[in-house]
This record gives sequence, structure tokens and C-alpha cells, in this order.
Amino acid sequence: MAKRVLIVDDHARFRATAREVLESAGYVVTGEAADAAEAYAAVAAEPPDVVLLDVQLPDSDGFSVATALTEQGGPDVVLISSRAAEDYGARIGRCGARGFILKSKLSAVSFAALLE
Amino acid sequence: MSSTAATGAEGQRALHDPVLLAPAIVAVGLSVGWFGIRNGVAGTRIAVDLALAWALVASSIVALERERWRPSRILLAAAGFAVLAADLQWTSSRTLWTLGLLIDLLWVALLVQVVLRFPEGRAWSPAAQFVIVCAYGAALGGQLVAALLLHRSVISVASHESVADAAGRVERIAGIAVGVALLVLVVPRLVRLQQRSVQRAQAPFLAGGIIAVATTLVWFAWTQAFGTGVAAPLTIGHAAALLIPLGLVIGIGWSRAFRREASHLVVELRTGGAATLRDRLARSLDDPTLEVAYRLDNGGYVDAEGRSVELPEGLDRAVTLITAQGDDVAALVHDPALLDEPALVESVRATAGLVLENERLAAQVRAQLAEVRASRAGLFAATDTERRRLERDLHDGAQQRLVALSISLGLAASRADSPEVEVLSRAQDELEEAIAELREFARGIHPMLLREEGLDAAVESLARRTPLTVIIEGSAGNELPDAVELAAYFVVSEALTNVVKHAAASEVRVRLERDRDMLLVEVQDDGVGGAGAASDSGLAGLEGRLAALDARLVIESNPGHGTRLRTEIPCGS
Repeated sequence: MAKRVLIVDDHARFRATAREVLESAGYVVTGEAADAAEAYAAVAAEPPDVVLLDVQLPDSDGFSVATALTEQGGPDVVLISSRAAEDYGARIGRCGARGFILKSKLSAVSFAALLE
Repeated sequence: MSSTAATGAEGQRALHDPVLLAPAIVAVGLSVGWFGIRNGVAGTRIAVDLALAWALVASSIVALERERWRPSRILLAAAGFAVLAADLQWTSSRTLWTLGLLIDLLWVALLVQVVLRFPEGRAWSPAAQFVIVCAYGAALGGQLVAALLLHRSVISVASHESVADAAGRVERIAGIAVGVALLVLVVPRLVRLQQRSVQRAQAPFLAGGIIAVATTLVWFAWTQAFGTGVAAPLTIGHAAALLIPLGLVIGIGWSRAFRREASHLVVELRTGGAATLRDRLARSLDDPTLEVAYRLDNGGYVDAEGRSVELPEGLDRAVTLITAQGDDVAALVHDPALLDEPALVESVRATAGLVLENERLAAQVRAQLAEVRASRAGLFAATDTERRRLERDLHDGAQQRLVALSISLGLAASRADSPEVEVLSRAQDELEEAIAELREFARGIHPMLLREEGLDAAVESLARRTPLTVIIEGSAGNELPDAVELAAYFVVSEALTNVVKHAAASEVRVRLERDRDMLLVEVQDDGVGGAGAASDSGLAGLEGRLAALDARLVIESNPGHGTRLRTEIPCGS
């Protein structure tokens, strides 16, 4: 069965691109959220299997959101950012996310690799 | 010389010629004594009263020496005459006897006032003021009742010896209460005085007061308990009171001895020594609380380190301005008791002027340096804010678009037929390179990890990106000021860049060490050495940043021995 994905990023353009990438690979995009508050609401309304989560959010940071979502056995979280993983140090490993993808490297292949 | 100056016009106004008091009190004393002998008063009592009156007036003349003690001296002289006025009871005239009776204890109240307002003539506290009022009330009120009820008095309204006796008892109890209150007020003050050497001259006077009151109280208690007549405690009380003027004279003698010693120290002040000028001044003036404030050209004051200070106002501290060649150069902030030593302060002032002028110039330079440093630090802080904003703009703007473009290219490549796939993939790779370069550029402008995770994590990240073995030793810890953290990061970053470019090293050690108020940053490589001064490299720009934080970059680099770069950045505590 196709995995259901929620996309969280404050750039609408990026959300559209990511949706296209994921849908073309057969994922079901359950919704899009522009900030942490919308993300929590969307997860509650229609629980996805995976949250594609930008690290830099206007009202919070992706690490806190990832911790909050995964702590209660929620969906898997895949972090994305246009900054490199090494710009964030150890926090990526600590927040409970399945992994990190550099935004420009986002593809169906890199996404699927983290969820195996 | 100094006492002549201190006498001044004010003293002349207070009592036209204080020295005339001496023959006056001698004459009055001899007449009163003659009455006493004629009326069979005990010889010791007469002698004690004359001694007390003369000593009080003598001490009032000695007190002229000290400007700040002058208010006391009028009361002291008044007390001396009051002692003899009370002895008018020795005359045969009923009128004079009544007058003597009325003011029998006035001298005691006067002395209580003198002690509790010593030395400036201000009551020490509301409690002291209250005790003074009570002393007058007991001394005058009790005697008035006696005068009204005793048969012999010219103002007698009724003769009630027993009521007069009872009134006398009440008066004595009030007297004891005043005595005890006086002890409670004076003893702690004396203890405090002993800790402040410049005020020690007041101590014998207060000690005299304490001993006089305590002796009188003990003697009074003794006579009450064992029923000896009432004349003896009066004599003892008068004799004990002698200690008060005696203490005053001793105190003045002390301060004179102290002044002679100070003149030696003034010489030391000029010749210098290891101690700081402030310490030498404090010792010369025997005031450990002394502070020196230097005057800036703009009229403000700073301490020796160039930090801004306010001159105090009010009575707790006194300020003496020091001039050199007619200009204010400094202010001494000191214990007001030093004003008792105008000659001493004057001599220190005369000596210190030129020495202080030099110190003042040094303090002024330090103050200006601090100002320059602060403004430079401000410039860097503004720059850093701007850098942070630039980094964010790059990240949120151009980079986001390029990222979206890159993903779209990837998507297109995945859908395209074989000839286009290769073109699209190559385009995506090119784009990927550009994005990476842009990311590196943004990181150089402002390392986000530093802000989010601190210096240790940021240096670790630098080490991972350096194509050499980088060993990190120590830790910078948390809670470093932003400017310190950023400067340390740039030092490590620039040093690593240089090592990679020039040193041909195989290994680099980065050392971070934090003690309470200093961050040590050291980068040591095992390369070829022989690196030039900081001005030759990208480190030049960092020197200004470090200087703004009062730090210096030290480079040791000998051919064949690698290069060591080191800085210690003060970071407060």
C-alpha cells in the first residue's frame, strides 16, 4: 500500500515541487503545512505515515517538531533543509527523525532509502 | 599655624576671644571656692569642682585646634561655668542658693549634649536627640520641683520635705536611665571608631564619657545599697566627669603625633615605591577607604583603570579636589573625619598634585582606549548582526529557488528519454555544485551552527570539513559571549584554511580551554612552518576583531617546526 506523506515547509514553491516528486513515485500526499502549528493540526486531522519536515520553520524548528511527533509513536519523520547536515551538528541524531535529506538532493530514491 | 587658620572669623564670632575665658573661669572659680570655704564645704569637693570647671574650659580652648570640633567647644565652656554656678548654693544668700539649686545639674545635661553631638554638633541619631532632651528634662525639671517645695527656696510655694524627697528619687531614677542610655549609644560608636583610624582622635573623649558615666552609676548604686550619704557620689561624679575634658585633650595630642608621622609619609608619596599611588595616599592620610578619581578633559571622573566614577554627595564621604598648575586633576574621596586634619590634607594635596597629574593622563588614556575599544566592539557587533541577516537572506532567497530548480531537473531526468537524461543530469550536477558553493559562502559569512549549538560543535564541524587529521583538545564550554564565540570560531576557521593552503601538514591540533574569564584558542600544525606575520594572511582582518575584545593573536612559526597560532580572549565571568 502506498505510504501517506505530509509535507511541512514554509516555501510554497518547494512544497509543490516535493509533492510532484513524491506523487510521481506513487506516494500519497495527505496535505501540506507551512509551519509547526499547521503541521500538528494536519497530523491530528489525517495521520500520515511519514512527515517530510523542513528544519527551519517560522514558528518553531524542525527538531522540536520531530521530537514532539515521534515521542508519542506518531509518524516517521524525514528532515530536509537547504543547509547541510553538518550545519546542524548532533541535533539531527537526537530528535528522533529517521534521517536527513539535503533539499537539493530530494528525490523518490533518496526519500525511499531513509524509510527502509 | 594651622590652628590659627582654623580659628578663623567664625570662632571669633562665637566667643569674642576664647582665650579670655581662662582668666574668667579662674576668677569665678576662686570666688566660689572662697564661699565654699567660708560655709564649711569639704575641701575635696571644692577642689574637685574647681578642677572640673577649669578642665572643661581649658578643653574648650584646646578644641579650637579642630575645625570640626568647634560646635562642641561652646557647650564645653558652658558646662564649666555651669559647674561653678551650681556651687552658688555654697553662698549664704537665699536667692543665689535658689538659683544654684535650680541649675544644680545643668552641667550634666550640657555634657550629655556635648557627647551625643560630638564632634560636628549634630545629634548622632533621633535616639541620641531624645536622650539629650530627657537629660535636660530630668536635670531642670527635678530641680524646679525641689525649688518649689523646699522651705529655704525663694520661689517656694509650699514646704513639703517628703514630697521633695520623692521628687528627688524620681530625678535620680531618670538620671540613671539617661546614664544607661548614654552608655548604650556611646559604646558601639567607640567600637566603630576604633576600626576607622582617621577618627581615632575622637576615641579618648568618648572613652572618657563612658568611664565617667559608668563610674558615677556604679558609685551611685553602691551608696544606695550601703546607705552612705549623698554628698560622696556627687563628688565622685564630678571627679569622674574630669575624664571627659581630659579625653578631649588626649585625643588632640594623639592626632598631633599622628600628623608628625604623616609628614614622613608625604615624602614617600613623592619618591614612589612599589605600592600604587592610591595605596600610598591612603597610608599617608591613614584612611583605608580613600579613593582617587581622576578628572577627564570633558569634566567627568574616572578611576585609575579609566572606568567612569561619580563623585559622592552627602555627609558620609568627603571630597577634596587636587589641582596641579591651577587645573583640577583629581579628587580624593575620603572619610569626612579627615577634614579634622586640614594641614595634613593640605600637605598631601600640595605634594600629590604633580604625581596625580601624571596618573591622570594615564587614566585619561585608559578611558579613551576603553572608549575606542567599546566603539570598535560595537562596530563588530553591528557587522555580525548584518552577517547573520545576509546568511539568512541567501538561504531563504536564491538558494531556495536553486534547490527547487535542482529537484525539478532531477524529476525531469527521471521521466525523460535516454538522450535528454544525460544532459539533464549534467545540468543538475552543475547546479548542485553551485548550490554547495553558495552554502559554503553563506557559512563563511555566518556559521549558523555556532549560534545554535555553540563553539565546540562549530569547531567540530570545521574539523570534519578540513581535509586533514584535526585533533580537538579541550572544550570551550557554554555561555560564551557572542562576540567571543564568533572571534574564536573565525580564528580556528582561518587557521585551518591557512594550514590546508600553505603548511603541507599532516595533522593539526586545535585546543580550546576555558577558565573563569578567559578563552584560550590554539591551533598547532606539524607542517613546514615559517609562516609570516598575521598581516600576510587572512588573519589580518581578525586582529582588529580580537583587539576589540582586548585579545592579541600570537603566531610562532619556525621553518621545520610547524606553526602555532594562539590567542587568549577575555570573556568576563
